[in-house]
Amino acid sequence: MKYALKRILMLVLTMVIVSFLTFLAFELISGDPAEAKLGTEATPERLAALRHEMGLDRPFPVRYVSWLAGFVSGDLGTSYNYDMPVWELIAPKLEVTLCLCLLSFVLITAVSIPLAIWSYRWTGTAFDAVRTAFNQLCMAVPPFFTGILMSYFFGIVMRLFIPGDFPDLRTDFGEAVTHLFFAAICLGIPRAAMTVRMMRSTVIGEMQKAYVRTAISRGNDRRGVLTRHVLKNSLTSAVTFLGQTMAELIGGSVVVEQVFGIPGLGRLLVYSISNRDYPVVETLVVILAFWVVLAGTLADLINQRIDPRLRLGGAV
Amino acid sequence: MRKRKINGYLLVGLIITGALLLMTLIGAFHTPWDPNAMSATEKFQAPSLAHLFGTDRFGRDIFSRVLKGSGTTLAIALATVAIGAVVGTLVGAVTGFFGGVVDDALMRLNDALTAFPSILLALLVISIVGPENKYNVVLALGIVFIPSFARVTRTAFAGLRDANYITSARLMGASNGRILLIHMLPNTARVLLPAVTIGFNNAVLAEASMSFLGIGVTPPDASLGYLLKEAQSMLALAPWYALCTGTVIALLVFGVGLIGEGLQKMDREVA
Repeated sequence: MKYALKRILMLVLTMVIVSFLTFLAFELISGDPAEAKLGTEATPERLAALRHEMGLDRPFPVRYVSWLAGFVSGDLGTSYNYDMPVWELIAPKLEVTLCLCLLSFVLITAVSIPLAIWSYRWTGTAFDAVRTAFNQLCMAVPPFFTGILMSYFFGIVMRLFIPGDFPDLRTDFGEAVTHLFFAAICLGIPRAAMTVRMMRSTVIGEMQKAYVRTAISRGNDRRGVLTRHVLKNSLTSAVTFLGQTMAELIGGSVVVEQVFGIPGLGRLLVYSISNRDYPVVETLVVILAFWVVLAGTLADLINQRIDPRLRLGGAV
Repeated sequence: MRKRKINGYLLVGLIITGALLLMTLIGAFHTPWDPNAMSATEKFQAPSLAHLFGTDRFGRDIFSRVLKGSGTTLAIALATVAIGAVVGTLVGAVTGFFGGVVDDALMRLNDALTAFPSILLALLVISIVGPENKYNVVLALGIVFIPSFARVTRTAFAGLRDANYITSARLMGASNGRILLIHMLPNTARVLLPAVTIGFNNAVLAEASMSFLGIGVTPPDASLGYLLKEAQSMLALAPWYALCTGTVIALLVFGVGLIGEGLQKMDREVA
């Protein structure tokens, strides 16, 4: 419990630092938002009035705190491009991206762990080289390429979904999930290949340890040792890796959303960056950073439940 | 005499990468067609002997475009890895060798940065440094790739710090600079080389992703990612455009990935 509290405190602290740095960075690069809104021709009086209205004439720390408070109250300013509240713009897109990443995460976990164990059995055989090559190939094919191939075959040829036309998540849940399913596969393939690779080498490393030799010399069969002891001991590194996967997926989703025309956070980020819509970019950065830090924290907390050695504060 | 076992991964990887490099190199000086020449009579032609990868909406030869594009992509990836590896090794060497408060602080920062997906960081850096073009892509990706190289080399340098031969070099009066450069650096090649292959692949994929998103290489330059972006808009009428371009990216990353795999295998066998 004490550990969990400490970890959550660290999460909050990290987020405060990240949000401060983000706010500072965008403060430095974005120039004067009032001028951006009114254009360079605006009279000084109108500029001053708008600055006052937008709260830009307040000192920096005050503006930072009120912006930070916006994450709690939901008032994060107004988008330059859409002229609507940032939060209203982001919320529906957050749902879509969350669905996509979770779907992909479930697929990765469900596929890669059995595959890793299965591929471990082939170690040292002639098939091993083919397996390694296939693994490398899966890591080499970029998600946007598989995405294009999938939208061609399943979208244009087989008409299972319409590329670029994403149904509403609330009214057409089934259709939307079909659409997301193909995107989730593209997003997941390289990461699943990495997970298999990582899990396999963890299991191999674990199988060479003394306790495995002892267990086998005492007459246990290899399979039993693998499932009963080795997999348990490999679990913590798998959880850590899957935590990183959760963080990586959000990065990958930026590209995959673009391919499939899914209106998620990634597309909004790309659009806002190209159009220099700083209030939106700023908020998205903090949300994405929170996602990344949260994934790491969750992985740590789960590991700490799994592994009693971590709970006692020892290093593994 | 013991027969040397052939390292299959390394061999196949080198063949694939070598072939692609050779073609790109030739493509830099000579392409079968002008990559930007349009032809109204040769629109949307399927691959043939005259046009190996077919033609696009404007009748441009896709093979020539891919050759030029892979030149841009390779140049960007190499420049990125060079920045990342040189600066990263410098940071890793200093922090790993001297340790102390600077080391702790830099490594915490490093942990935070490497946890963040590199494509997101690169997009942010480019939104800060300014217009989207190939130089800013290199700058953005180069900065983003520094931490991962720093981490790998730091571990290597820190591990060597107390090795006997370093102690004896120091006893003989060698300066820190000499120890780092002459004695330690060659011994970190073992971890640096696979890191370079992985970094190169990440750079190719990151550049392709960014250009695909339209926040990367912009015309008149064209990289493989930019070509895929173009290809997606004519997917229904010229599917070969996307197929050929994507396959070249995948082959490139696959080949270099195999080289990395081979290097690691070699390292395990020596050890």
